[in-house]
Amino acid sequence: MLAAESAVDAVAAPPPLVSVTNVQKTYFTRQAPVHAVASASVNVARGEFVSLLGPSGCGKSTLLMMIAGLERPTGGSILLGGSEVKQPRRDIGVIFQDATLLPWKSALENVLFPIRILKLPIEAYRQRAGELLNMVGLSGFEHKKPSQLSGGMRQRVAICRALIHDPDILLMDEPFSALDAITRDQMNVALSEILETYKKTVIFVTHSIREAAFLSDRVVVMGGRPSTIMLDMQMPFRRPRRFEIEETPEFAAVCRKLRLTIEQAHGSPQPAQSPAVETRTLTFE
Amino acid sequence: MASTGMGTETGAIIAVPTASKEAGLSNLRSTALPLGLAAIVIAGWQLAVMLGNIPTVILPSPISIAKYIFERYDLLLMHAVPTTLESAAGFVLATLLGIALAIIISYSQIAREALYPNLVFFQLIPKIALAPLFIIWLGIGSQSRIAFAVFIAFFPVVISTTAGFASVDKGMLRLCHALTASEWQIFTSVRFPAALPFIFSGMKIAITLAIIGVIIGEFITAQAGLGYLIIFATARADTEISMAAIVVLCICGLLLYGLVALGEAIANRFYSADNT
Repeated sequence: MLAAESAVDAVAAPPPLVSVTNVQKTYFTRQAPVHAVASASVNVARGEFVSLLGPSGCGKSTLLMMIAGLERPTGGSILLGGSEVKQPRRDIGVIFQDATLLPWKSALENVLFPIRILKLPIEAYRQRAGELLNMVGLSGFEHKKPSQLSGGMRQRVAICRALIHDPDILLMDEPFSALDAITRDQMNVALSEILETYKKTVIFVTHSIREAAFLSDRVVVMGGRPSTIMLDMQMPFRRPRRFEIEETPEFAAVCRKLRLTIEQAHGSPQPAQSPAVETRTLTFE
Repeated sequence: MASTGMGTETGAIIAVPTASKEAGLSNLRSTALPLGLAAIVIAGWQLAVMLGNIPTVILPSPISIAKYIFERYDLLLMHAVPTTLESAAGFVLATLLGIALAIIISYSQIAREALYPNLVFFQLIPKIALAPLFIIWLGIGSQSRIAFAVFIAFFPVVISTTAGFASVDKGMLRLCHALTASEWQIFTSVRFPAALPFIFSGMKIAITLAIIGVIIGEFITAQAGLGYLIIFATARADTEISMAAIVVLCICGLLLYGLVALGEAIANRFYSADNT
């Protein structure tokens, strides 16, 4: 699956925007050290949408937090536009699993929060904040507080907030996993529409195979203990993407390939506790 | 945040009041019921005094107390002013001290580990027993009563404010760090506003404790004040004056508590999760 990448290299393309090389993360606890990430190397080109896919605890969120500068790797290097990531940077927008809005501020004020923190002129960004909220279908909700918005709406506000200061890179840490399945599908479509308007480089962490396949240009499967990168796969679907692609055989084939890779890393759902009963029920044709 | 050995008092503080939107009818009911009960109790008291022929020295009737307040309001007011001012001063200083200590405890692990257990232990001292010492240390002026009021009122502010600073959503802090926010920015735009409901519930306890502190101080030594008036009148078996002074003290207490509640309502206009 590295064929696509080496082909790009052969044309002497510009260096990748995000370059993760042999990154390790070990937590030193009182007992044995915990290897959250054994070794990970990923390159992300400008404008690319790359998903980090894997089961819970595979270190994908840890890797994302290291790219965000919120955690330091214990080995390897993370370059962003050629310079090493040592601390959080203003050219990155981060979106977490929870919307983490200020409950006492309106949707509009929450979107403008990074502008206040970065000490940019608020008035200059007010219009852009309104446009972003309008883009995600929240016009008319600008002055509502988070308690009056649904979970999906709150996460849309969080996306607007991450886009307001126009960062080059969006880092998304399971942004839709707290939402119900229907809202989640809607958010996937909304996100791909947003990214058609506001071109960004995105690194997206998820444990949903469908979500990763639908949204990404490339899916990177993480897994194993200790965790490494199992697969780096180009998604063969054209943009703009609509929901219909999920019904195509190609989509099913891609999902199967991703699933098999994950299962290889962690073993298929094996009959661990009571093999005698389980194996019998599983041996159907 | 360490939560070691918080007393029962703190349990009440941490139960932050949530603004409830009740219907008008149940709102009316929630004022009418307690007022009605109070009216019945007062009427029963009046009847008991009249029918039971209880002497005024033992228990003056509500009507005679009211009459006394009405006739001698100048005397009562004269004594109410120092008590109220000293309570307010003690309360303000206790709040400032409490918040300052909470900031130190929240931001310095060494300070937290060194200070917090001592604060909790300190709370176990029956502080009222120390009141006479304040007279020795600070004299018989208002400074010793104010100092004593601060001494007994600051603790709930420390505990509730510390809990408030710790209540901030961890995700929100991570977002701030990702945005390269400074600690000062995080404090002013996230931590302090999030802690406001906690701070106000601590302040509401502190105001009542500050009044208690001042009254105790006046019991011990004072030339004026409602506490002084109560002791003075009781020594002369003039129960009517004592009771009148207690009623005025309740009114002053309500007034001060009301001011804190007003401050909370104003803060809520800006920092409430509910829409205005």
